[in-house]
Amino acid sequence: MEAKPSNLVDQLVVPGDVILDLSNMANQTLKLSGGLRQDGDSICVMKAGKLRFMKPNKYWVESSQKRYVPSAGDNVLGVVVDTKPENFLVDIKGPALAFLPVLSFEGGTRRNIPKFEVGTLLYVSVVSANPGMNPELSCMDVNGKAAEYGVLKEEGYMFESSTGLARSLLSSPPHPVLEGLGKKLSFEIAVGINGRFWVNALQSSTVILVGNAIQKSESLSLVQQKIYLEKLLKSIQL
Amino acid sequence: MEHRLANSLIMTVNEKKFIESALLSDIRVDGRRPFDYRNLTIRFGSEDGSAEVQLGQTQVIGFVTGQLSQPYRDRPNEGSFAIYTEFSPMADPSFEPGRPGETAIELGRIVDRGLRESRAVDTESLCVIAGKLVWSIRIDLHIIDNGGNLVDAANIAALAALSTFRRPECTLGGEDGQELIVHPPDEREPLSLILHHFPVAVTFGFIGKENTVVIDPTHYEEAVMGGSMTATLNTNGDVCAIQKAGGDAVSQTVIMQCLRIASVKAGDITSKIKDAVESYNTQRSLRKIKRHNPDQQGSSDVAKRHMERLTVGSDQSGIASQFNEHDKTNKRNSTLKGFSGGPASWDPYSKGVDGDALRTSLASRVAPVDKQKEESSQVNPETKSNPKSSETNSIALTHEVGLERKQSKSLKDAVKPKHKRRNKSNAS
Repeated sequence: MEAKPSNLVDQLVVPGDVILDLSNMANQTLKLSGGLRQDGDSICVMKAGKLRFMKPNKYWVESSQKRYVPSAGDNVLGVVVDTKPENFLVDIKGPALAFLPVLSFEGGTRRNIPKFEVGTLLYVSVVSANPGMNPELSCMDVNGKAAEYGVLKEEGYMFESSTGLARSLLSSPPHPVLEGLGKKLSFEIAVGINGRFWVNALQSSTVILVGNAIQKSESLSLVQQKIYLEKLLKSIQL
Repeated sequence: MEHRLANSLIMTVNEKKFIESALLSDIRVDGRRPFDYRNLTIRFGSEDGSAEVQLGQTQVIGFVTGQLSQPYRDRPNEGSFAIYTEFSPMADPSFEPGRPGETAIELGRIVDRGLRESRAVDTESLCVIAGKLVWSIRIDLHIIDNGGNLVDAANIAALAALSTFRRPECTLGGEDGQELIVHPPDEREPLSLILHHFPVAVTFGFIGKENTVVIDPTHYEEAVMGGSMTATLNTNGDVCAIQKAGGDAVSQTVIMQCLRIASVKAGDITSKIKDAVESYNTQRSLRKIKRHNPDQQGSSDVAKRHMERLTVGSDQSGIASQFNEHDKTNKRNSTLKGFSGGPASWDPYSKGVDGDALRTSLASRVAPVDKQKEESSQVNPETKSNPKSSETNSIALTHEVGLERKQSKSLKDAVKPKHKRRNKSNAS
């Protein structure tokens, strides 16, 4: 017996909407993720956003905020605010500061603890995020390798965005403005799902251009983004 | 400790270095050049004397209210004004509710000094009865969003709110000519304040060791800058105030260059404020045209409430607020006398009002002002008031230029005024 997906999938829902009535579905397990709640026999929406469904049985609500709610498995951009003997205190735009153990680096031992000064920008992954506790981070992937985690070079600039924009920058198909600019300009970018992205290029003007273009394109639709991109490239003569 | 850390702005090393290096090639993080201001929008509320200013992401609201009170002993002929700032916690995580912090007090001081020391607000015109009763003006500045450069935005909000503030007209009347009558706004048009000039604050930030100067810093640039300077100037070329509290040392040439740039920017900002105030005033007078003869009972209630609020709670004998029972049929026609000095440059039909008659009457405290004549309901006066830009000679009362025109009745006249009474009862 396959679950029929709710007819509200991929549409905007607001708190109070009932997306599924369980009374006429028997012997099925559903996985409910963020923004949904079971209220007796019905599944109600708690957060405003777009309802998403993934086969076979996962439902969740996707919304965009300025603040980030840490959850395990996310890759985020963090800023070191303090050093302790056991952990680095890192700000990841969440309700509480996160702890990064000093040994969570590839080949990390007590002898070669990295020295981070206050304000260092890091690309880290969230290992665990329980409500009420400080989240825990790590600069290694599951195999213990550094992968792409670690300190971001002391160049470039970090821009703030919403979580929705960060998600669309990481999604495939790629973000139109990002893709379009990437074809014409050369820069490197690191996107954290917590609403921060870092851009680096040889020239400061490129960094500023890319960062501001991405920030401004957040509220535009796909078609508008393409038009915006064309105008932008024409104005800088590329 | 964690809580305190989370409240302050966390800057990365990358950001600091980048801002400084980008400035070496004359470009700022939001794409501006070093001497560009952000987008400035000025909006007005429904009440007179309230303005909302948006400078980029920074938002400030200014309210101006007036109250009758006793003057200071050493200045019996002058009214007073005071500035209150409130840094709302929703503007920035580091703002706490309660007593104003250091930056809040400094901001209030800068705005106050710009208005007071340069004598921009004419306080002598606020005097009603010398030695006994004057208007005391209160300017409230609320910071709604902190995107950097609060001082400039707050100053513009104060100026815009002061330009649109109206106070009720007061005359001496009654049986013995000694009693103070405060006229409600639906009976006599309220008067604007006299502003001799507009002191505009321009803030500079000094970033890096080479003393790179940026104008209108954002809050990221403010976190990175080594020092800042605020210069308050007007379009006449006067420097009204300069504030440089601590921070990096700056050479004399840099200061002179900043002052030159500031005078150019002050001119831009002044013209923007004046345009916004003028369009607000035209809209206000257009709103008045729709009004018709108000209900007799309703307006008297309104006026009574108004009187109670304005009653001076002091032990002064012989001074009482009194409700004027005259002229209830055609209140709008009382527009001729309540208007500002200086003819509007764009209006060929404007006339100055004889301020002399009113001035002498108040000075001698004898004769009340002539009551308005009733006019036929055919005439729909259109009031236009001009902004307080032009300098006025020493005048005891403010006036606005009134303009009366015959207009053919349109559908607008037939529309009953719904919100008029609420608006007027709110005006103070």
